Amino acid sequence: MRPYQVATAAAIALIAAVAMFDSLAAFNPSAGTAPGDVGARWYPFWAAAIMGIAALVVAFRVLTTPQAVEGVFAGRASIFSVLKLAIPMFAYATLIGGIRWRDGDINYTVIPPLGFYIATGLYMGGFAWWLGRYKIWWVAMILVAFPLVIFAAFELGFRVSLPKSFLYEQGALPF
Amino acid sequence: MEIFGQLAGGFATALQPINMLMLFVAIVLGLVIGVLPGLGGTSGVAILLPISLFIKNGALPGSNEVTAIIFLAGIYWGALFGGVITSILFNIPGEPWAVVLLFDGFPLAKKLRRPGLALASSFVSSFVGALVATVLFTFFALPVAERALQFGPAELFAVFVLSFATLIGLGAEAPMKSVAMLALGLLLAAVGFDTITGEQRLNFGLVPLLSGIGFVPVTIGLFGIGEILASAEEQGIGYVEQISARLGLRDVREAFVELGKRIRLVLSNSIIGFFFGVLPGHGATAASFLGYGLARQYSKNKENFGKGEISGIMGPQSAADAAGVASLVPMITLGIPGSPTSAVMMAGLFIWGLTPGPVLFIQHQDFVWGLIASIYLGHLMTFILCLLAVPLLAMIMRVPYAIITPFIIVISIIGSYSLNNSMLDVFITVVFGLIGYWLRKLKYPLAPLVVALVLGDSTERELRKALIAGHGSPLYFFNSPLSTILMLGALVLVLIPLVRTIRARRRGAVARPAGVAH
Repeated sequence: MRPYQVATAAAIALIAAVAMFDSLAAFNPSAGTAPGDVGARWYPFWAAAIMGIAALVVAFRVLTTPQAVEGVFAGRASIFSVLKLAIPMFAYATLIGGIRWRDGDINYTVIPPLGFYIATGLYMGGFAWWLGRYKIWWVAMILVAFPLVIFAAFELGFRVSLPKSFLYEQGALPF
Repeated sequence: MEIFGQLAGGFATALQPINMLMLFVAIVLGLVIGVLPGLGGTSGVAILLPISLFIKNGALPGSNEVTAIIFLAGIYWGALFGGVITSILFNIPGEPWAVVLLFDGFPLAKKLRRPGLALASSFVSSFVGALVATVLFTFFALPVAERALQFGPAELFAVFVLSFATLIGLGAEAPMKSVAMLALGLLLAAVGFDTITGEQRLNFGLVPLLSGIGFVPVTIGLFGIGEILASAEEQGIGYVEQISARLGLRDVREAFVELGKRIRLVLSNSIIGFFFGVLPGHGATAASFLGYGLARQYSKNKENFGKGEISGIMGPQSAADAAGVASLVPMITLGIPGSPTSAVMMAGLFIWGLTPGPVLFIQHQDFVWGLIASIYLGHLMTFILCLLAVPLLAMIMRVPYAIITPFIIVISIIGSYSLNNSMLDVFITVVFGLIGYWLRKLKYPLAPLVVALVLGDSTERELRKALIAGHGSPLYFFNSPLSTILMLGALVLVLIPLVRTIRARRRGAVARPAGVAH
């Protein structure tokens, strides 16, 4: 447990240091706009300072007091069960907007934006196939039904506009 | 008498068909959220917050901001009741405040074979706790708000400081971790334009960060995704006990008889739970443990606790529900969230263009009294729904993990995207989901982070207004007796953990626990 606690406290202290560096203008005498005002950077500077000091105290206490022997995770299986959820979640969020960038006048597209509905179908269907070990027709039904139900509920019912796919831009799909 | 007239007006508002319909929908959603172990009341309210914006904007015929707040509050009431079902029937707490029911609720259901009585006892005491708290809310809210109207920037800043100090001094986790999380919340709230000078800060040249880091995507990440990741880890470890979910009229009748025998305990725990819930950052979870402790302390049958004692169900449940209702009191009257869930609701009010606090009472009386009336109606509706629909709710636990888990993530993504139509918010949610999961594992409290994030702007504004009024002198904060008392109270609260540590060391109570290493 100790190395994880110390590393986390160090990361918090590092974030604090970066924020303090960005807010160094707090010590500029002309920072405020009115007599008595401390300016825009004073508050974030001291918030970061308090955060950094607190993180250092946490790290110090972790290093100087007895800590539980067991680690953060119950075992390798528990790490994998978290990764099984976290990695597809990142992939899902990425697929919605696709992977593309612009360099000067040239647009590069690695993965076209699949939009919310297609990405959701793939994500739900993929999860059911991979972790649920469902039969293929169930997977196909989940893949189609979930995006349609969400489209009906949010897009038509609540009039919430969610990201559309490149196929929508080409007029091939309603989403 | 003025209060009764306003409450009657509130009932007239709350009883409008659209409000009753949305209250019903919200309670059903809340019950489902409460039953699902991977999703808490806070995350449920956060995920559905963007929908409340559409409700407020009239997406449904006749809906307005009162409908929207009734919707959000209804989710919370449902979750408060729903979390207990899985604790009692499956030995899995659906919500943090239902953990305490594992001690006596599950044994009563399993060993003593009375699941119906355990559930009915829980619902009856929850209902009484919520009712007592709502009555107190009705009579306390207006005087507090009227007093708060006279607050200047120094008093308001002192109130904020006191609420932060409460989170540090009375928190269950290490106080320095609370301080770090609190400061992180304040820091995140400062990202983007300074609201007073318009100066850019902490955006590191990134244009998307100029509008700041949204409260909603962060909260959905910390609570929604974070909880799902944590429960994913536990899925492989857990073993699900399952008990029949039938609840008959005989159980309800018996629960009322048992309530009659423990009415003093339930009423006193409800009142204590109310005042505990008013303290910022605590809410129902801490109150439930306090309620259990009190029930055990003053029981004549201490030896029965842990074996299915009904006082071990009714005591914590009445306190937890009373605290849940009470957490809305500081939010409505002072603009300070009493719990992470009320912090999310408060963020909703900001998004709808309303400013929580005393002015709300004066300018939007229909809103405030409509909400208060809906608390009475909401709890009655929740109580009846729970009695009728326990078998259906228990069936939710049978929805496969491979469906329910990705579905919650999908709904979380919709929630974070739809508020600003921003993919950046989606990534903020995902990243904060991982951060929330990790911080939870290392026992960093998330409530201070969320409360500070929602109060950060107001705290800075009042601080700087007070400094301008006092020409830069910090002594201005001690000009009025009230702000002085509040500041001193905050100091005392912050010193509590220090005093506790010193006393423990003096007693030599810091014994090295088993299984520890240097």
